[in-house]
Amino acid sequence: MAQTLKNFLAEAPLSPAARDVLLDAFDQGWHDPQKLTQGASKARILQQNSLESIASRLGVHPTELEIVGEPALGHFFAIQGFIEPTSTIFYSTVDKKEIQAIARARQSAVELSVNSLGQINPDGFHGAKHDDLLALQGANAETGVVQNLNEVTERFLSHAQRGLVCLDFTAVGCQQPLPEKWDGAVFDSRSWRGPQGLGIVAIKSGSRWRNPLPHINSVKTPQSFSLPLLISSAVALESWVSDDERIRQLSRRLRDGIRSRISDCDIAGDLEGSLPHVNSFSFLYVEGEELLRSLEKRGFLVDSGSACTAEDLQPSHVLAAMGLLTHGNVRITIHAETTETDIDELIGALIQSVEELRKL
Amino acid sequence: MREIDCTGKRCPVPIIEAAKAIKEIKSGETLVLISNDPATKVDLSAWSRMTGNDSHQIGENRFSITKKATN
Repeated sequence: MAQTLKNFLAEAPLSPAARDVLLDAFDQGWHDPQKLTQGASKARILQQNSLESIASRLGVHPTELEIVGEPALGHFFAIQGFIEPTSTIFYSTVDKKEIQAIARARQSAVELSVNSLGQINPDGFHGAKHDDLLALQGANAETGVVQNLNEVTERFLSHAQRGLVCLDFTAVGCQQPLPEKWDGAVFDSRSWRGPQGLGIVAIKSGSRWRNPLPHINSVKTPQSFSLPLLISSAVALESWVSDDERIRQLSRRLRDGIRSRISDCDIAGDLEGSLPHVNSFSFLYVEGEELLRSLEKRGFLVDSGSACTAEDLQPSHVLAAMGLLTHGNVRITIHAETTETDIDELIGALIQSVEELRKL
Repeated sequence: MREIDCTGKRCPVPIIEAAKAIKEIKSGETLVLISNDPATKVDLSAWSRMTGNDSHQIGENRFSITKKATN
């Protein structure tokens, strides 16, 4: 009989409501909404309803939403659509690599450091000017560390009064409201257990943004996303129920258990300043990939940010920026289905696996 | 001064080798770790923080490690 593996990966199955609606969404939403048929008219209504539903839950106007078929592409649209040839992009050492790549492709970009808790140092904005852009992460997907958005933004705007703020909310999703000041924001449908392959870009009304791709009509972004996935994502978001307090307690149990029972372990970030469900641990003298395999044999699926599992052999830029151990890293994501028993069993498995691997 | 050559070895081997070697020297003595693994610099720094030993990069792929007083 196959072993049932407990899921502590970042990914989780579709929300049951989103899954239930998916087949029907494909049956109803296959028409091209831009055509003139009755089916297209129905598809337009489904699309508009989905956009309105998502917009209301994210705290934006439906006309401010653009949908793209790939969240990473959303960052490109959101950032590149704002910047001028003379703009400087301010970004941080813990931003996603795709955002760092966009910034580093510019002639002028400033990388902001973070402290050992992963919080951005807001002292690097000297010289910022009005057409500059701050690419700011709501929370880090690897460590869960949540940024103090208002403080960092205020410091940026104190130098660049009419500067633009583009938020990476792909890890935050709907768990926190957008801050008061934002010009662009990128979401990932998976953050509320919607389908993958759907990036949601919010562009504030009236902001100086234009389609960064060569184009000959008025569309802001390519309209090649899947309408059925958009419908499913809207349903997933509608059915999302915050369970933050319970999940935070489970994370506390996990962190306390590991801290007290396994020596020489770095824990990334402070739980109170992090997303409740994301936990990152680095165990000294342990090889990350071996630890993943060992835990899987014991029935637990976890992620790793270790250099040893990455294709380019570079250490995790996030852990390195925080001055944390980059080897022996596991990222443990707690889901709505996770129980206290699961946490206790995972701690037991980690103790055994780390002990075994340190003996090798 | 003792040298440990971990060229071509990937994390966490250089750190494990350094930890083994430092047990064999006296407090206050220094050894040199040679490693071209891109993770060594940050991991050695984290290891020093966790163990109390002192480490510095002294050249490309070369690091000095001084054993703390109470090891």
